[in-house]
Amino acid sequence: MTILTPTVVPSVPTKGVPAVDPVYRQIRDLVYKVSGMYKAEEKLYLLADGCERRMKHLKTRNPRDYWDQLTAQPSRDGELRQLLNEITIGETCLFRSQPQLDALRKVILPEIVAEKTKQITKRLRIWSAGCSTGEESYTLAMNMLEESESLLKGWTVEIVATDLNDRSIETAKAGIYGDYALRSTTDYFKRKYFSTFDEKKLQVRPEVKKLITFSRLNLQDDSKMLFMKGMDLVFCCNVLIYFDGASKSKVINHFFSNLNFGGYFFLGTSESLMKLNEQFHLVHFPGTIAYWKPSLSSGKL
Amino acid sequence: MITSFTPTIRERVQRIETMPAIPAVFLPLMKLLGNSAQEVALDEVVRLVSYDNAIAAQCLRVAGSPLFGLAQAPKSIKAAVLTLGLRRVETILLTCSLGQAFAAKKWVLDPAVFWRHSLGCAMVCRRFSEKLATTDPEEAYLAGLLHDLGFMVNCLAFPEEFTAAMERACQEGIPLDEAERATMGFTHGETGQALAEKWKLADDVIEVIAHHHAIELSQKAKPLVALVHLSDLLCRMRGLGYGYYERHKVDLIADPAWAILLQEHRDLEGMDLVRFTFELDEAIEEIHALVSTVFGPPVHA
Repeated sequence: MTILTPTVVPSVPTKGVPAVDPVYRQIRDLVYKVSGMYKAEEKLYLLADGCERRMKHLKTRNPRDYWDQLTAQPSRDGELRQLLNEITIGETCLFRSQPQLDALRKVILPEIVAEKTKQITKRLRIWSAGCSTGEESYTLAMNMLEESESLLKGWTVEIVATDLNDRSIETAKAGIYGDYALRSTTDYFKRKYFSTFDEKKLQVRPEVKKLITFSRLNLQDDSKMLFMKGMDLVFCCNVLIYFDGASKSKVINHFFSNLNFGGYFFLGTSESLMKLNEQFHLVHFPGTIAYWKPSLSSGKL
Repeated sequence: MITSFTPTIRERVQRIETMPAIPAVFLPLMKLLGNSAQEVALDEVVRLVSYDNAIAAQCLRVAGSPLFGLAQAPKSIKAAVLTLGLRRVETILLTCSLGQAFAAKKWVLDPAVFWRHSLGCAMVCRRFSEKLATTDPEEAYLAGLLHDLGFMVNCLAFPEEFTAAMERACQEGIPLDEAERATMGFTHGETGQALAEKWKLADDVIEVIAHHHAIELSQKAKPLVALVHLSDLLCRMRGLGYGYYERHKVDLIADPAWAILLQEHRDLEGMDLVRFTFELDEAIEEIHALVSTVFGPPVHA
C-alpha cells in the first residue's frame, strides 16, 4: 500500500517569481525582528533584489556572507539601515495604499464625525509624520476635499506634515510630481487637483496645499513632540523602521498621547508596531490594519 | 433567539424536496480528513476521486493547470493525486461534491466568491490552529470549510429572503449575519444547523455551523467555534469575504471569542497577530489561484 505523507503536498509556485535563496527568508525574519517591516513571500524577491544591490556595492560574493555582515559587529547596525533604505526606495507615490484610504473614508471618518458631532468646533486634525516629499500629505488632503461637500461639510481640516529633512520639506512644499510618483493617481484626481507644471510634471493646486502645513520636526525631540496635541489621525509610514527599540517605543508613546480618544494611527502597509505599545488596539479594516486609541464611550480603555 | 425560530426553519428545511442528499463521497471523505496524513492510503483517495467522473475531471484539470507548472498534464488520476498532494485533493473533493449537490442556478452570488471565502476561512483556521499547540489543524480546516453551509441552504430554501438580505448587506456594508437577522429574522447559522443535523455531521462541526456568529450559544465546542469565528472575521478583512466592502473595524483581541480561545490556549497570548496577518496574505494568493482553476473557465493545458 502506498502511503502519502504531508511532504507530498507541493507548495504552489507563484508564477513569474523566481525561487529565492533560503537565506533571504532568514534575512526577512531578521529585518522584521529589528524594524517591524515584513516582506511577504511573494515580495521576497524585492528583498532579495535589495540585498543583491548591497552585495554588489560591498563586493560580497554570496548571500551567506551578506548574512554575516548583517549579523556581526561592527557592520550590522549600519548595514541593516542601508538595506532598509534599499528595500523601501521608490515605494513612495501618491495614493500608495487604497485600502488605507478606503478605511479612512468609509469607516473611520464617519465614526469620528459621529463621535465629535456634539462638539462646537468641527475640526479634524491629521498628522503626516515623516512626510518626506509630501506624497502622502497631498493624498490625504485630496481625499478630505472629496468629502468636503458631504461628510465633512462645515468642518475645518488641518493636515500637519513634518519631516526631519529640510530638503524633503522644500520639495514637498513645491508639490511637483512626475509620472512615477503619480503612477497610482487616477485621471479624475489629476484633473481635479493638479495643474500642468511642464511637459512631464504636474503641480498640486493651491486649494489642496492650503490644507497642509509643512514643517521640520525631529520625532525624537521630546519637547517638540509634546506640542503636537489634539490629533485625530496620525500617519507614519516607513519611518519607525529606522529607529531602535527604545526610541521607537518612546515615539509611539508620544503618538498615543497626541491622539484624541477615538483616533487612529497608521503605519506603512507592511509594517508592524510589534508589541511596543499595549494601549493601542490593533484593528483590521478590509485590506489594511491600523492602531486605535479607544474612544471614551467605547469603554475599552 | 435560536429556539423561537428553529422549529420553523427546521421544518422548512426538512420539507424542501430539492434539499440535497448528502453527496456520496462526503462521509468517507470526512473520515479521511479526520485521519492524520500519515495514515491515509493513496489507493483510498484515488478510489474516492474515481467515484465521480465530474470530480475526477476536475482533479485532472487542476493538476494540469499552470498553477503547478508541469510540462505535461497528468494522464491518470493517481498521477493527478500525487501532483496535487493529499490535502489539496481532499479539498477539491469536498468543494466539488458540495458544489454538485447545490444547483448552480440557485446561487445568490457567484459560487467562486463563496468558495473563495470558505476555502480562505479553512486555510486561516488551519494556520491559526497551527499556532496553538493543543488544537487539531485538520479539524479546524474542515470546520472552516463547512462553516457557511447554511449559506447554500438559504440559497435553496429561502431564495428571495436571502437575496434581500444579501442586497442589504452590500448596500449598508454590514456583516451578512446582521443583514440576515434584520431581514429574515434568522441567519445561515440556524439553517446550516438544520441541514448539518439532517446529514448527521459530527457534533463539533454542527456547533461551528450553528454558532460561529453567536459563540456564547455553543455548548460543547466553544474553543473551536471561537477559532472559526475569528478566522472568518480575519479572512473577510483580507480580501476573502463575500465580495462587498464591510464598513466596520474588527478588533480581534477585544472580541469575546479571543478571550474564550485564550482560556483554552495560553500560547495565544504570545501570538504576533500582525505578522500572522501578513503571512496569511501569502496563502491567499494560492486560494485565489486554486478557486479560479476549479471554478473558472476550463484550462487548456
